[in-house]
Amino acid sequence: MNRDDLFDAMGGIRDEYLDSAATLLDYSKEENNMNGSANKTKTGLRKTGRILLIAAVIACLFTATAFAAGLFSVSTRVPDPKETFQIHWDDSENGYLEWSDAKLVLTFPDVGESREIEVRPGWLPFELPSQLAGSSPWDHLSKETWFQRFASESLCFPDESGNLPEMFQGISQPILIQLYSMAQFRGDGAMLMLYQSPSDMTEEHWDDMNVDVLSFHGREHFDERYVEALGKTIEAYDLEYDYVLLSNAEAGWVIEVCGQLGMDTVRKVARNLEIRETGNVLTSDDFQNQFLFIDGGVG
Amino acid sequence: MDDEAILTLYRQRNSSAVAETETKYGRLCLSVANNILSSREDSEECVNDTWLHAWNAIPPEWPLHFGAWLSRVTRNLAVSRLREARAQKRGGGELPLVMDELAECIPGGSDPQRAVERKELSEAINRFLAALDPMTRDLFVARYYYSAPVNELSKRSGWSAGKVKTVLRRTRLKLRNNLSREGLL
Repeated sequence: MNRDDLFDAMGGIRDEYLDSAATLLDYSKEENNMNGSANKTKTGLRKTGRILLIAAVIACLFTATAFAAGLFSVSTRVPDPKETFQIHWDDSENGYLEWSDAKLVLTFPDVGESREIEVRPGWLPFELPSQLAGSSPWDHLSKETWFQRFASESLCFPDESGNLPEMFQGISQPILIQLYSMAQFRGDGAMLMLYQSPSDMTEEHWDDMNVDVLSFHGREHFDERYVEALGKTIEAYDLEYDYVLLSNAEAGWVIEVCGQLGMDTVRKVARNLEIRETGNVLTSDDFQNQFLFIDGGVG
Repeated sequence: MDDEAILTLYRQRNSSAVAETETKYGRLCLSVANNILSSREDSEECVNDTWLHAWNAIPPEWPLHFGAWLSRVTRNLAVSRLREARAQKRGGGELPLVMDELAECIPGGSDPQRAVERKELSEAINRFLAALDPMTRDLFVARYYYSAPVNELSKRSGWSAGKVKTVLRRTRLKLRNNLSREGLL
């Protein structure tokens, strides 16, 4: 068989697939549904918000009409406000957990397992606290250290007196890097649910790192509430972060880089990340044991 | 006018069938031809040949997906035209004749085994496409059936050209694995 044979065989593609692709290309004069869905999703992204990686949607109750997915690429959609997701979870009473109120869902289809990775920041907006290296619990810490979770609030506030360096004052999370594994999914695709309201969302691909990149500014609103432990009322406030999600859906992982030092800084940290595979392959059983399952919360 | 009405015009041998077809599917067929031939003039000729083919074929043919059927006719005509042009360029005008003459040595002027293999290949491709998510399938078909440029796919899908290329590359690799698994490679 040669390429002409393959090209000719493409001529036998089913009519319905040809019709659908022609609609995408707007070659027909009929309404361009696919393109319409994509535009709707893009617009909807701006409305939406805490990141949580959840388990496989074994029986998720959702309408799939707004899907715009790539086989190994992240797809995004705005779920129906009433949409709920039943998540397989052996430890729960019913064998599942139910989630609702997701504002944006990123889907990684066709992922059955994950290749475990570690990351190392090649650039940070601050020096790692050398004074901590050699002292517990950071005695292992150096620029050569590989991480599976890098929470900078522990690293850039080394002053035992609690005084913050000026550039970090008023900031609760300068930089956070954490990894999400897709291993928990059993063939139905992995989902990353966003509960913050994203804006200025951009999607791109970084060829040299072989990652799909989703960048956005996220805002989460907290209502005024009485905190019993503090014995006082906390005023309403908005928590704002910049996010860069690097994903390799084929390998089954997501790296989240976020922080409050501005998008340029967050992107620079993400752009300079070193990523390596450990050689381990994670399966859904690992997830069920909560191995590598990050708490999911951000901030 | 819906497809059923247009096809009825063909059945009635009403010449307005062609005009209605051109109104509804002219853009589709011209795009298909132009993506392959990259020549407005050749593409328009190819599309006119498509209308002629439709006029001669319907009836007895009665396509269920008229647009897809027309695009297939246009694509086949455009590819034939392109191959003919390339062969003439390579062989200085004589080689195509020689090839045609040699083709007479083959029983029936065709290769039944090859036709069967292509049919099997088409079926394998359809099975592969059925397992893809809709957007990837659309991109794959748009690229490898309609020969649409990557930039156009990027514009239509809302994805970056780099992402479109990556998705296409991964899909090609997956197709290769599938075809290999089915013993077609």
